[in-house]
Parts: sequence; structure tokens; C-alpha cells
Amino acid sequence: MSSFYTLMKKECAEDILSFRSLLLFLFASVLMSIFAFLLISNKELSLLDNAHAIYMMIGIVLVLSSLIIIIQGSDSIAGERDRETLEVLLLSPIGSKGLILAKLGKIMISWLFLYVLAIPYLWAVGSIGQNLWPAIYILFITGTLLTLILSGISLIISAEMSTLKGALFISMVIFLLLVSPAVLGSSLRQTMVGRVFDFINPFMDALNSIDSVIIDSEKLNVQSYRLGIMVLYTIVMQGFLFGGLRRIKL
Amino acid sequence: MIGFEKNNEMNVISIEGLRKSFNGNIALDGISMTVRRGDIYGFLGPNGAGKTTTLRIILGVLKADKGKISVLNNDLNSWGDKLRYKVNALPESHGFYGWMNAVDYLNFFGELYGMRLTKKDYQLRLSQVGLNPHNNLPVRTFSRGMKQRLGIARSMVNNPEILFLDEPTNGLDPRGRRDIHDLLVRLNEENDITIIISTHILDDVERLCNRIAILNHGKIRYEGILRSVSNEKNIRYRFLLDHEQTISTDWKIPGVTFVEIKDDQIICELKNISPADVIKAFIDSGVKIVEAQKITEGLEEMYFGYTGGKNQ
Repeated sequence: MSSFYTLMKKECAEDILSFRSLLLFLFASVLMSIFAFLLISNKELSLLDNAHAIYMMIGIVLVLSSLIIIIQGSDSIAGERDRETLEVLLLSPIGSKGLILAKLGKIMISWLFLYVLAIPYLWAVGSIGQNLWPAIYILFITGTLLTLILSGISLIISAEMSTLKGALFISMVIFLLLVSPAVLGSSLRQTMVGRVFDFINPFMDALNSIDSVIIDSEKLNVQSYRLGIMVLYTIVMQGFLFGGLRRIKL
Repeated sequence: MIGFEKNNEMNVISIEGLRKSFNGNIALDGISMTVRRGDIYGFLGPNGAGKTTTLRIILGVLKADKGKISVLNNDLNSWGDKLRYKVNALPESHGFYGWMNAVDYLNFFGELYGMRLTKKDYQLRLSQVGLNPHNNLPVRTFSRGMKQRLGIARSMVNNPEILFLDEPTNGLDPRGRRDIHDLLVRLNEENDITIIISTHILDDVERLCNRIAILNHGKIRYEGILRSVSNEKNIRYRFLLDHEQTISTDWKIPGVTFVEIKDDQIICELKNISPADVIKAFIDSGVKIVEAQKITEGLEEMYFGYTGGKNQ
């Protein structure tokens, strides 16, 4: 346990509190500021009802956090391999599982950091309406599940790929595949293929759950099947991560 | 090949029939070797011979396809993660967290091993390897030699009983190499650490090691004592026994150290005894010698002899 805590500390110092990481969070913060400012001040965007404005803001938060999670997950093991620090870590008592757990812990902290960072922006956009609190809790639930899924995917890729470049490339392709329905027109998403893709895509399950809770003001339990799919993805990904990667290759 | 002076209680590593292949390519083809407590054991061989693979398997980072490995008198598999507290290693390619300073770096690994040491303890360890303990500069500013010393300090952080070093002097200048030699001898003598050095730098082996194994194409070509090879220019004798004769492994002649017994051939080192007296001792014991030959070769000749010639 103490070695896990030690590695977590190092991970956080390296990937959350380092100058490079703080710049990344600053970039995310600036982007959210610009978007929040546009939603409030832009004539056309400010005409959106409060629910739509919050939904769009949450969408931005989810895309940004997914991107950061994918980058951190891809770097986690392939990056250590590239920097030639993996072998000394694997030689230590932390072992493969402890290493993965610490990396996952760091990613979860990153997500919570971004989540807390996003709350003032959600408040700025949605404080005048009634959707602020539902937005805050649905973002937490879907964001946490999405973080567990994406971190699982990117950590598996990171462990299996021999270079950081390769791991990042494949993770990015998967990320683009997951967010691609969001940029498709609604008519395309209403087709049979579009619906199936929406249904099995955890990112779209998260967005659709948020849409239903915030825009349609539905109860969370109405979304249980979508959240169920996300939970299933989480179990499968974490199962693969901890069950399949008993010995990380050098 | 049977090495003499074997005593299981003294063995810290025993390997029998170790095999490993990667995608059908055989990396290790039935390796057997023994490392004794207090040895500085040289693991020699050309690039790709299987040295690093062997070390990684012993350290539990790679899994062998076949073979039996005993470390500190316990089966490798029965150790589990506990072995990591007893051994440590300096891999050939060991990166650093460049943003840490030397004390933070040691402290990080110390905590990973559950060591409760103070900053002063780590500073002492840094000075033991010849680094300035008050240097607060990040590791990325260190020279290669300084990094190598820091790597050795890291590998000593859990006070291991066995230390594995993979190419420890690679890329160092002569001064840096000499310093690392002195440091390793000190660690071996003062801290009673068994050191296994994997290298293809023969000078390192000649200066440091008392026993060696020469590995080529995944097979051990030679395992035995080295000291006499370097210090006395390897004046050894090869005795050929009469057809189908053997000698017992616990057989002793004062002044004779058996280096190798292979089929009908015995290689031994003689100290204060003439070859004629040895032949007489053999004959008195009923062993007929058909040929006695003086062997004179340095480590380099020996290395090339076992790894397939100078041009390879």
C-alpha cells in the first residue's frame, strides 16, 4: 500500500502538478472560459435556453477531459518504456498491478481536478436556471464512468504498444471514433446504423444521458440502460486491464 | 561441464535447463549456471547472446518457457514479489526522472521498497557512490558517469543480497570506469553483496570478477573460475584421461584447483605443484593420463574461443 501511495505521489507530481501539466489544465481552463463567455455574451448563443447552454458546456468539459485522459493513459506505460524508466519500476515491489493501479489513480485525480475546475464554468452558464445541480451530478456520474472506460482503453494500448507515439496514435483514433457521432447531423444519427453506433458508443451514451437529464428533464433512472452500458464497458475494460495485464512487457 | 568446489549452501543462484524463446526464436537454449555467495560473477557474451534475457528471468520481469531457477535457496516462483526486497538491479537502459534531484530520486525508490530512511541517510548513500550529497540540481543535468553512480545508489537502496548489473560501465570514460570498478569491489567486500555483471567489456571482467560464464547463441559455453586467468595469465593444464575413465567430483589434490571436467578432459590450475606431481597423483589413484598440455590464453582468447572466433 505504501509503495502504491509513493508511486501515486510521483505520478501526480509528474502529470498533474508539473509545469507541463499545469499548462495543459490552463489551456483547458482558457478554452472553457472562451466557451462560457460565448454562451453568455454572444447574441445568437445567448438566445439558447439555459438547459441547452449547460448541455453544450458539459459537452466541452467531457471532450476536454476525455482528451486529457487519453493522453495521460497512453503516456502511462508506453511513456515509461520510452523514457527507459519502466524496468526499474517493474523491478521494485510495486509490480505490474500496483503500477497500473497507481496510473489509474493518477488519471482519476486528473478527472476530478478537471471536474472541480469545470464547476465554476457550469455555474457561470447555468446559475440562472434550474438545471445547475442536475448538470453537476450527471457530469460527475457520466464523467467518472467515461474516465474509467477511456483510461482502461488507453492503459491497455499503452501497455501493449512498444512506443509512446504508437500508443498515442491508436488512442487518438479511438477517441475520434468515439466522438465522431457528435459532429454528425441529427438525421444521420437517426438512421439505424447511427442509432446502433450511438447506443454502443460510451461517449454518446454519456452525452445522451446528459441530454435527457438536462434538456428533457428526465429522471436519472430513465437513463439506466445507457448508464448500464457504460458500467458494462467499465467492468470489461478494468477487467482486461487488471486481469489481462498480469505481466507488463518491457 | 561440472564446476568444482560446489556447495549448495553457498549457492545464491542455481539455474538448470533454462529455456526461453521469442516468437519462435530461441533466446536461451538450456542454460545451467551457479552463482555463489560473495561472487563477483561475470556474465560474458556478445550482443544478443541472451545475457539480459537471463537476468530479466532471474529478476522475475520475464517468464521462462522451461527450467528451474533457485534464488537464495528458494524456488523463484515460490518467492513471488518478496524476492524484490532481496535483490536489485541496474538495467542496461535505465532512465531517470530528470525533474527529481538525487536525494528525491533515492527517496522515491526507497519508499517503493518500504524503506524508512531520512534525508541524511540518502545523502550518506550518495557520498558512498562518490556523488555530492548536497547537489540539489535535477538529475537531467547530471553527466553519464554521475547518472551511472546514481543508478548504482538506487540499486543499493533496499540493501540487496544480490545485485545485478547490466553493462554497468557502458559509455563511461576510463576514469569513470575505474571509479565504478572500485565502488563495486567495495560494495562486494564491505557489504558482502553478491554481484552479477553482464557485459561484453572484457576489461571489466578481468578487473572485477572471480567467476565467469561465457554465453553465446543462448548457450553457456564456459563457466568457471576467472581469477587465475587474469592474474597468472591463465597458466593451466589440460589432462586427457585414458578412454572412458572418469574422476570423482569430490576428489582433491593439494595445490590443484579443478576448473572443468568435460568428457575425458580435465582442466586444472596448479599452484606450488608440478604437472609431473599431478600426473603421479592421478596414476597413484588409478587414473591413467594419456596427455598433459599447458594452456596459455588470456580472457580475450578464451572469449573468442568460446564465442566463435575473432572475426565473428
